[in-house]
Amino acid sequence: MHRLAITCAALFATHPARTQGWNNVGKDDVPKGFSWTDPLFSGFWMAWTPATLAIFIGIFAAMGTLIALEIRWPGGNERQGFLGLTTTRGDRLFISLLGTVYIFLAWLGLVGQGLLWIPLILALSWATLCFWKA
Amino acid sequence: MKTVNQRAWFFVLPVLLLVAFNALVPMMTVVNYSVQETFGDNLFFWEGLRWFEQILTSERFHAALGRQFLFTGIILLIEIPLGIIIALSMPRKGFWVPVCLVTMALPMLIPWNVVGAMWNIFTLPRLGLAGYFLNEIVGINYNMTQSPLAAWITIIVMDVWHWTSLVVLLCYAGLVSIPDAYYQAAKIDGASNWSVFRYIQLPKMKTVLTIAILLRFMDSFNIYTEPFVLTGGGPGNSTTLLSIDLVKIALGQFDLGPAAAMSLIYFAITLLVSWLFYTLMTREDDK
Repeated sequence: MHRLAITCAALFATHPARTQGWNNVGKDDVPKGFSWTDPLFSGFWMAWTPATLAIFIGIFAAMGTLIALEIRWPGGNERQGFLGLTTTRGDRLFISLLGTVYIFLAWLGLVGQGLLWIPLILALSWATLCFWKA
Repeated sequence: MKTVNQRAWFFVLPVLLLVAFNALVPMMTVVNYSVQETFGDNLFFWEGLRWFEQILTSERFHAALGRQFLFTGIILLIEIPLGIIIALSMPRKGFWVPVCLVTMALPMLIPWNVVGAMWNIFTLPRLGLAGYFLNEIVGINYNMTQSPLAAWITIIVMDVWHWTSLVVLLCYAGLVSIPDAYYQAAKIDGASNWSVFRYIQLPKMKTVLTIAILLRFMDSFNIYTEPFVLTGGGPGNSTTLLSIDLVKIALGQFDLGPAAAMSLIYFAITLLVSWLFYTLMTREDDK
C-alpha cells in the first residue's frame, strides 16, 4: 500500500512533463523567428509546414492559372510536341510535374541529399522545355 | 460556332468535394509527413528529404519493388491472353450467354479478404482440398507456409482465379459490339481465323483491352488484402509485396515519415506506368 502511494505520487509528478511533451525538453524559451520548416499549426494532425504549404499553393495556383487561360483561350492550346504526343496546356503541366518528381527521386537515389540545386535547375529546364516544345 | 454550356461542371461539384475529403486531404497529409519525423502526439520535426533518400537506397525497398513488378508482370502475362482466349470461346448468342457471364462474374463478387481466407484453407497441406490432393494423392510436397515457390504459385493462381473474369467480361463486351457484316466480309475474302482475330477482333477490343490492362496493372500493383490474408508476406519475406511492406513500416514500426515517403514513391511509379501506357495506347487514335 505504501509503495502504491509512492508510485501514484510519482505518476502525478510526471504530469507537467507529459502535458508539455518532449518537444520542450532542454529548449530555451526564447521565441524564434519565422522558419520555413517549423510546424505551421502546432499539434494539428495534418502537420503543415510553410514549405509544404507553399508547394501546394504553387500547384493549385498553376491549376488556377490553367483554368483562367482555358476560359480566356478555350481549346487547351493543343499541339503536336517533340515527344510525339498531342498535348494541351494541362498535359504539359502534368508532364513537367511528373518529370520533376522523377528528376528529384533519381538524384536522391543516385547522389543523395547534397547539391539539391542541380536537380532543381534540371527540373526547371525540363518544365521550360515542356511548355516550350512539348 | 456552337455554344458550349459549361454549367454541367456544377454537377461534378459534389464528387469533387467528396474526392477532396477522401483523397486530396489525406494525400496532402502524406506529403507533409514524408518530410517530417513524429513520435506521436501530433509533434513533428523537420527531416527534409532524408526519408526519400533512405527509402530509395534501401535494399528492403528494392527487394519489395522487385517482387511487386514480378508479381504484376506474371499476372498480366497470364490474365490478359487467358482472358482474350476465354472471351473468344464464349458463345455470341443464345441460352449459354447469361450462364457464362454469371459464372464468370462470381469470383469478382467475393470480398478480397474472403478470397484470401478461402485460398488459404483450400491450399493447406492436410486440411484443404488442393493441398491434400497435391500432397497426399499426387505426392508433391506443396506447402505455401514453408516453400516460397509454393507461396508464389498460390498467390498467382489465386489472383488469376479472382480477376481473369474482369478481362473476359471487358473483352467480351468489345467482341459483342462487332457487327456480323465484318465476319461475313472476312468469310468472303477467305480470311483465316488468325486474320479475323488480328484485323477484326483485336482492333475492336483495343479500347476495352487498354482499360482492362490498366485496371489489372493498378489493382495488382496495389494489391494488399489477398496476399496478406493468404501468406502474410511469408514465408520469410518472399511474398512481401510493396503494399505489405508499406503497412509493416507504417503500422508495425510506426515509422510514419519513411512510410509516407515510400507511399509517395509508390504513387509516382503507379502514376508514371499508367500514364505511359495510356498515352502510348491512345496515341494512334489522335492522329
